[in-house]
Amino acid sequence: MTTIQMPQLGETIIEGTILKWLKQEGDQVARDEPLFEISTDKVDTEVPSPVAGTVKKILVEEGATVPVGTVVMEVDDGSGASDAAAGDGAAEPSAAAETETSDGSDAEATPAPDATPAAEPTAPAAATTAEAPAAASSTVTAMPDRGPRSGIVSPLVRRLAAEHGLDLATVAGSGSGGRITKKDVEAAIAAGGAPAEAPAAPAATVTPLRTPAPAVGTAPGQGDTVEPMSHIRKAIAEHMVGSIQTTARAWTMVEVNVDHLVRLRTSAKEAFRERHGVNLTYLPFVIRATVDALKAHPRVNARIDGDTIVSPGSVHMGIAVSYDAGLIVPVIRDADVMNTVGLARAIADLAGRARAHQLRPDEVQGATFTITNPGPYGSVASVPIINMPNAGILSLDAIVKRPVVIDDAIAIRSMVNISMSWDHRILDGEIATRFLARVRDDLERWDFAEDLGL
Amino acid sequence: MASTTVEAGAAGHGAEPRGKRTDDGQATYLIAIAEALWEEMERDERVYLLGEDIGAYGGAFKVTEGFLDRFGPERVMDTPIVEETIVGMAAGSAMEGLRPVAEFQYADFMSSGYDEITTVLSRYHYRSGVPMPVVLRGPSGGGVRASSFHSTNPEPWVAHAGGIKVVCPAFPGDAKGLLKSAVRDDNPVLYLEHKWIYRRIKEHVSEDPDLLVPIGEARVRRQGDDVSIITYGAMVHRALEAAAALEERGTSVEVVDLRTVYPYDEDAVLRSIEKTSHALVLSESYRYAGIGAEVAATIAEKAFEHLDAPVERLSPPNLPVPFSPPLEDAFLPQVADIEAAVDRLSAW
Amino acid sequence: MATKTKKQPDTSLPMPEEQLQHVLYLLKLTRYFDERMEALYRQGRLPGAIYSGRGQEGTHVGVVMPLRPDDSLFPTHRDLTAQIAKGLDLKRVMAQFWGRIDGYTRGRDGNSHIGDWQGNRTFTVMSHLPIAYPVACGAALAYQRAGDDRVALAICGDGATSNGRWHEALNTSAVYRLPVVWVVNNNQFAYSTPNRLEFPVPTVAERGAAYGMPGVRVDGGDVLAVYEAARAAVDRARAGEGPSLIESVSLRWRGHAGHDPANYMPDELLERYMAEHDPVKNFETWMREHGLVDDDSLAELQARIEREFDEGYEFALASPFPEPGDAFKGNWTDDGYWASEPGRGGGTEY
Repeated sequence: MTTIQMPQLGETIIEGTILKWLKQEGDQVARDEPLFEISTDKVDTEVPSPVAGTVKKILVEEGATVPVGTVVMEVDDGSGASDAAAGDGAAEPSAAAETETSDGSDAEATPAPDATPAAEPTAPAAATTAEAPAAASSTVTAMPDRGPRSGIVSPLVRRLAAEHGLDLATVAGSGSGGRITKKDVEAAIAAGGAPAEAPAAPAATVTPLRTPAPAVGTAPGQGDTVEPMSHIRKAIAEHMVGSIQTTARAWTMVEVNVDHLVRLRTSAKEAFRERHGVNLTYLPFVIRATVDALKAHPRVNARIDGDTIVSPGSVHMGIAVSYDAGLIVPVIRDADVMNTVGLARAIADLAGRARAHQLRPDEVQGATFTITNPGPYGSVASVPIINMPNAGILSLDAIVKRPVVIDDAIAIRSMVNISMSWDHRILDGEIATRFLARVRDDLERWDFAEDLGL
Repeated sequence: MASTTVEAGAAGHGAEPRGKRTDDGQATYLIAIAEALWEEMERDERVYLLGEDIGAYGGAFKVTEGFLDRFGPERVMDTPIVEETIVGMAAGSAMEGLRPVAEFQYADFMSSGYDEITTVLSRYHYRSGVPMPVVLRGPSGGGVRASSFHSTNPEPWVAHAGGIKVVCPAFPGDAKGLLKSAVRDDNPVLYLEHKWIYRRIKEHVSEDPDLLVPIGEARVRRQGDDVSIITYGAMVHRALEAAAALEERGTSVEVVDLRTVYPYDEDAVLRSIEKTSHALVLSESYRYAGIGAEVAATIAEKAFEHLDAPVERLSPPNLPVPFSPPLEDAFLPQVADIEAAVDRLSAW
Repeated sequence: MATKTKKQPDTSLPMPEEQLQHVLYLLKLTRYFDERMEALYRQGRLPGAIYSGRGQEGTHVGVVMPLRPDDSLFPTHRDLTAQIAKGLDLKRVMAQFWGRIDGYTRGRDGNSHIGDWQGNRTFTVMSHLPIAYPVACGAALAYQRAGDDRVALAICGDGATSNGRWHEALNTSAVYRLPVVWVVNNNQFAYSTPNRLEFPVPTVAERGAAYGMPGVRVDGGDVLAVYEAARAAVDRARAGEGPSLIESVSLRWRGHAGHDPANYMPDELLERYMAEHDPVKNFETWMREHGLVDDDSLAELQARIEREFDEGYEFALASPFPEPGDAFKGNWTDDGYWASEPGRGGGTEY
């Protein structure tokens, strides 16, 4: 018998919430096949089975939050005597059930999730409208017994869940037959219930039936669209406010002549795509230059830890990715040892999986420096918010043709503004400026052609 | 509410005098109706009454007691038994500038005037632009052991015609204000007085002769959060009784009194459902194609995403109203039935 | 060749000459109208139904002549001639037939289901028979209350006298001595039902006694006889003496409606009536005999009538259809649909 425990997905994670059991008691499971979905602060993900076997017992119900290490399930892998765990299984609300593993093989404390979390919406199957009561005389007409109503999601419940990004699979039903009622949903929302794996994009709004009585002040008025903040939106908000309130943010910008890069990219991008299977953007070039500048000015790669400043030996580059739920920052680990091709591949991989909600928790932590790239959307200069605990965040804005002065003559060149918001607690203007100048100089002088592997 | 006595007043024979307001200004539903008629006749000499036994006798329920002496036989006309012609005369005289209020001794007898009501009164304005400011009024409803020809709820018959407004007040203050509005409305209005309410319900009623209650506007009689009961007429009182009992058991019930049944205040109904997510439509008109059927369908159609349970209706079946007490009590929705329905909805 | 010299008013004439000419005009106009409309119907150019009043013009014109503009008329679908006599505009009547916005009901109803209360005090016809009778009581009641001498006049057919409402209305009018004249256009057939299968008494007029009012029977082929009877009844009503019953006998020359070939109508009966009781021909003859018309004036009259018909027809076809959205308006007085001019947006073709 193998026990499955709540894994720790990330150093700081101390608990997880079971979003959904993907296997029920009695089901067969293959090794590495996903067993359940969990939610942590950082990410929602699937947990695969370490063994092949039959699911014997589910010890923690959906929606429950348990400490890391709690045994949540037993899988009979034919490896030994049965356990003596108490409990009824799925409905049992007890959190940490007693476990005895016969052969002492624990579920891995941190299973390496081979995760590809499903992106499907987890709202239960189509709400059925209940039948009208049987036509009969006026008085005591009993509603026909619908048997287990647990599967029935009323239109109201469905709407509320959708509006709040609430996964109904995590809500306990107290209505007839275990049906999730309005009260249950309202309670779950008030408790800050678990978000759906893939929040429906965008959060559905129900047009209010009546014009609401106009409230004084900030209440939504006629014509306003009201949507509740999703779990992720709230997390982003918190992080951003925290950053602004904590860091002593300053900002510096340089103009970079990237004419040759534009020409290079234009001529090489098709061959690059064909050869390496990913698109070539300007970001890999910029990261290369940034990494070099970070090596030259390690302070910019540092962070504050209490009263100390810690400068990591490696560069783990966070790249800000915008997706349907908001913003997420996957990290290219050891970006300092990657060349342009490697960076291009890593960017494509991380950005793609970010948008598909397939990032692992450890892929969104540990950045030592962060780059954001609003250029494709059209901005020519941006003042980004520092991704704490980084010392700085670099912004790569739009490349535009501009008239510039070269040798006292006016020429047209592809120019780009590269800027950095930096934390004045760690850095000072000189180092920040020198750092940016180095990025600029690298971009202007380096020949990336040989780095393209073509 | 189950009672085994047969009330003399129900049959309209030997009914006691209409009565007066109490010293502290309370009036019964009956008095309120009479006051409305009296004041409107004082106010506008074009208003006149016609009907059977309304003059010398003062009306089967004594609504018009004293009117003949005050307003004379031209304005308080006793008619032969001619329901078609009562309605026809009302229509024709309205076309020539008068404002008739025609009484049906029992609302049941309106069926004898069906053609003039549904063909002339309901349709004429649409086809010609000539207004017919006619009020048809009469005692409707059961629960008084008066059996099938003295207990009818004709609201669906007339609402269905489309061109006549239908008003069913439940409280004396509303009765007065709505009858005034009906008289002053240039459209034909059917004003149904539920006979069960006549002498049973009294409240403080305004003496302001120009205090009107708008036609087409509902009123929330009791605020609640868990279940909405949408109802009108005598059933409002049963609903309130049930709501009080349910409150003690922990269910908070909102009672919406439609007051006007056609056209009804859809906004108010939907607002209530938005709040409670549970709807019980309670109507004394028959279940099949009755008023409740329309309101329930509209709730399901327009408040779908606000419902946490199916919309339930409580109405009598499409059968003649029976006489014997246990039969009539089984026939009409009782307080216990309302409570049971609310419990069902809450537990759904 | 009567000259146009001013004559002394001829007191032997039943009414001033002007009015007699008007009677002739009305008789001939409505006869011509009936013939032309039937032809259009048979050609498929007249939408909807047509209820011919041919042969009954004496009744229709005769009973309306004593009425004043503020007296009211309560007709049936058969009595379009009476409505035209009361004052309805031929152009707007024809617009009604073609369902146009300028018709009296703005397209809400068609053909002779028509009325013009606001302009000519005629009740918009409804199909149920005789649904307007109780309403006539109401108008008469209002006149009585007002203390003036206005009169309501209601027309129905022989078949309608079987209906309860007919009896109720007559009874009630007599109880209150209302200023109303009850006219029965006995054209001897109610659709396919002849009188003998419709009521058990030989005449309708004698039923007046059952309701405490005088009942007279006149020859509908003689417009002046009808006029006399109607005038007497109207005068009675104006004098506060209560209601009267007039039975005017004619024959329905055409079927009940345009589609009805009336095979139930005996040929000899029809032939006899067309020959002997044609109110138009009879009155024209009378006018000639009294020197009030001649070939020239008749030709002029005919030309005028034909012109008026053609103008009406043209007007009708030029009038726009009502807008489709109009179907949902004008139920309550509140929306102002009828208080405003008819919209001219037009709808779709037939």
